[in-house]
Amino acid sequence: MIAFIFRRLLTLIPLLLAITMLVFILMSLAPGDFLTPVKAQRDVPAELIQAIETEFGLDRPWYVQYYKWLGNVLQGNLGHSWAYKLPVSDLIGQRLWATFLLSLSAFVFSWIIAIPLGVLAAVYKDSIFDRVSAGLAYTALSIPEFFLALLLVFFAAQTGLFPLGGATSIDYDYLSFGGQVLDRAHHLILPTLALGIGSIASIMRIMRANFLDTIRAGFVATARAKGLRERVVMFKHVLRNAINPLISAFGFTFSGLLSGALMVEIVLQYPGLGQLMYQSILREDQFVVLASVMLGCIMLVVGNLLADVLLAWSDPRIRLENKK
Amino acid sequence: MDRRLFQRVRLRPPMIALAIVVFFFVGCGQGEKVERPEPVVHPIPQDALVVDFPAGVFGGHITETVAGDIGTLNPLINESVGGSVVIGRILDSLTTLDSETGEVIPNLAKSWDISEDNLEYTFHLRKGVHWSDGHPFTAEDVVFTWQTFFAKKRDPDTGAVLTGEDGRPLYRYNSRATFGQQINGQEPTFEKLDDYTVRFTTPEVYAPFLLFGGGVDILPKHILGEAYGDGTLLDQWSVETAINEPWKIVGLNMFVLEAYRAGERMVFGRNPNYWKVNLEGQRLPYVDRIITKIVQDANSSNVAFAQGLTDFESIGPDNVAWVRRGAERFDYTVLDMGPSSTTNFVWFNLNPGENSEGKPFVPPYKLEWFSDKRFRQAVSYGINREGIIRGVFFNRADILHGYVSPKRKFWYNDAIRKYSYAPEKSRALFEEMGFEYRGGVLFDREGRQVEFSLMTNSNNGLRVEMATVFKENMATLGIEVELQFLDFNTIVTKISDSFDYEACMLGLGGGAPDPYAGKDILMSGGRMHFWHPQQTTPATQWEARIDQLMLEVGRHTDVELRKKYFNEVQVILAEQQPLIFLVSAKDFVGYQNRWQNIQPSALGGLTWNLESLWPEVNE
Repeated sequence: MIAFIFRRLLTLIPLLLAITMLVFILMSLAPGDFLTPVKAQRDVPAELIQAIETEFGLDRPWYVQYYKWLGNVLQGNLGHSWAYKLPVSDLIGQRLWATFLLSLSAFVFSWIIAIPLGVLAAVYKDSIFDRVSAGLAYTALSIPEFFLALLLVFFAAQTGLFPLGGATSIDYDYLSFGGQVLDRAHHLILPTLALGIGSIASIMRIMRANFLDTIRAGFVATARAKGLRERVVMFKHVLRNAINPLISAFGFTFSGLLSGALMVEIVLQYPGLGQLMYQSILREDQFVVLASVMLGCIMLVVGNLLADVLLAWSDPRIRLENKK
Repeated sequence: MDRRLFQRVRLRPPMIALAIVVFFFVGCGQGEKVERPEPVVHPIPQDALVVDFPAGVFGGHITETVAGDIGTLNPLINESVGGSVVIGRILDSLTTLDSETGEVIPNLAKSWDISEDNLEYTFHLRKGVHWSDGHPFTAEDVVFTWQTFFAKKRDPDTGAVLTGEDGRPLYRYNSRATFGQQINGQEPTFEKLDDYTVRFTTPEVYAPFLLFGGGVDILPKHILGEAYGDGTLLDQWSVETAINEPWKIVGLNMFVLEAYRAGERMVFGRNPNYWKVNLEGQRLPYVDRIITKIVQDANSSNVAFAQGLTDFESIGPDNVAWVRRGAERFDYTVLDMGPSSTTNFVWFNLNPGENSEGKPFVPPYKLEWFSDKRFRQAVSYGINREGIIRGVFFNRADILHGYVSPKRKFWYNDAIRKYSYAPEKSRALFEEMGFEYRGGVLFDREGRQVEFSLMTNSNNGLRVEMATVFKENMATLGIEVELQFLDFNTIVTKISDSFDYEACMLGLGGGAPDPYAGKDILMSGGRMHFWHPQQTTPATQWEARIDQLMLEVGRHTDVELRKKYFNEVQVILAEQQPLIFLVSAKDFVGYQNRWQNIQPSALGGLTWNLESLWPEVNE
């Protein structure tokens, strides 16, 4: 197992090298650079622009910049954000909590709702409930997240029930601890809905399909023949076997946490990593973009790894080690 | 692996999730909280400035929005609008501008003397003023601020000043001021005469010094002195400081930063040591707090105001109609502030150079058209500016005749050539140039069809529409215009680096209110001399004349003389039309009616007298 994890993590190295190099090339091909908007302002002295260009190394070709950046990263220094004059790691640290909280709540929300719904839809296959839930699931799947977010903004503006953006209220710092938790939760509701509803639909459909597959398995017939009650058959025997594929889905969800939140954060003005990433790309704040891309890439690999490991752990039929 | 253990755990994922969620809340809620040190509050300074507004009631807070997040609070490196708003509330300067007349008036300096030869400026500081943390404000702080601009890089062993390839010294802290405060490449000198007197000497007579030099934000030596010494000055007052230790950002202006949440909002509290008082001698400002929310999108920000959620708001010309509708219901007022200081214009690329492959930037025959002033005048006559105002701005804009917006009443010259819509004059000018019409299409002397491309930035909706009107107007003149809507960065690269374009439509925002601030645009060597930047020697006679006049504008302190020179600059620009001006959108502002002492001014907007504003509480 350890050897397997180690091997997987080793593949990260060439992957990260290739991806960061690609980002460097793409950013050097994109018109302008970080200083371009500054150049368009009327009262910036030409000497200052030149001085900053030399300081940032923007006057060198991309491979020289890449080489320098790589050297710094190997020493554990992700570089400074040009826009914020801060180490990139600090900057990302500031925002990571908010995004993680949002992703986690969307994750918990969607799984808690999707799994029972999927099971019910399978148990009562072809009933009215199954049909309606299928219809709703297809609708939810076909609404893009950003559009759903826009609808929610409209809803919040019309009713005034929910805050329009942000992660905390004005008086947050003066609230008691309980009040702070409630305040954050209040601000999380809309982003969670926007992010979670799509995945409820897909997880629910997967759950239903797995459950139906398992119901037809031989051991279910055996259990029924033993005279077990239907409830025990369904929830003890079928459910446990049907949930396995979802464990690998969990890994994929983990890898999608960061990218999924991006759109929703921008539309709902939620101050997380996605918003920071988006602004950095617009501003061509190179090192922040690079660090964000690397983070996304690492999460993808680790998510897949997690899925494999969890699956091996829960399903005795799967062995990760090479057979001798 | 113990599979049973895992199964037991697996049965309760919701509980684990719940535990994790609570853990995250805790993580977010409790940063390491360091107690904010209690500032020392000093009595009202002996030289306190008395503000001439009726006394009001203390208390209450302002809620408002700002368009962008801040990048830093360090005035030396700030480039963002959000940052300027925040810094402008915390830091203050020796002189400031009268928001009504545009004159330079005393601020932290209570008065100043200018020597006979107009080279020495002696500022007398207000006595008894303290920084927001209670430390006394003296001439040391002023001298320190200017030292940071011009500190040189030195060889660590010999102490000799290091120089760059061009022989000019290298600076330790490159900031806008480092180069912007130099006068024709030379640094002004400064010295402390006593605790409350500072003297500046400019290397040559330099009229805008009171405004540009006096307008510098003064930095606290007792806070930043150490960072200045160890080389970390530009890393100070970052957003990290704003989040964790906002009280370290001390200032002399009416507010201090109380809290900042990245991407969300800033909270300002009153500066307990502020040096302005009301007519009854009470220390201002009236409000306890300002809550500034960061809202990226101007439309959302206008929505928030229209629902009564914010107190002050600037409203775009395209939103003003529907914002007005709610004025009665939510008890607010929307004001038309007249033309804004932003200008929109078109210019032709007059750069005769060629790229590294020897290809001219502009095809030579087109350059010949563009370089003829009659061509530019004809185009200017052919633009239906009223049509743009009606069709694009719904009458919420004004015609712009020249370089100076009529908003800058003091410098505006009305006696310049104006180009009212007159296509017949355009045709006459084209015919005078030897061009001819064949079936409504314009051909030049060599029989080439007259056509050019015009680029503008695609993310500015109003400008895209203006360009479309321009294309139609030119079609009426028999000229075919190809529109290119490009990314803003691409445009900037084209106009400042690669020069491969024919015509461009852009706009410029305010800028400092002194005409000399436009030297980079107007003088032929300037970086922003759009139509042909960074010329080594003026390419045309009229550009040479403008260069001369602008030098005079900078060199004289007699206002009438300066005005005379600058009037001539405007006359030349109007005659030559290197920049063909279009329209200037109007400014609209809104405020909730409960605010008292509101006295909007064209230059200062709604909140120039922020310290005197107070809310009436209706029960």
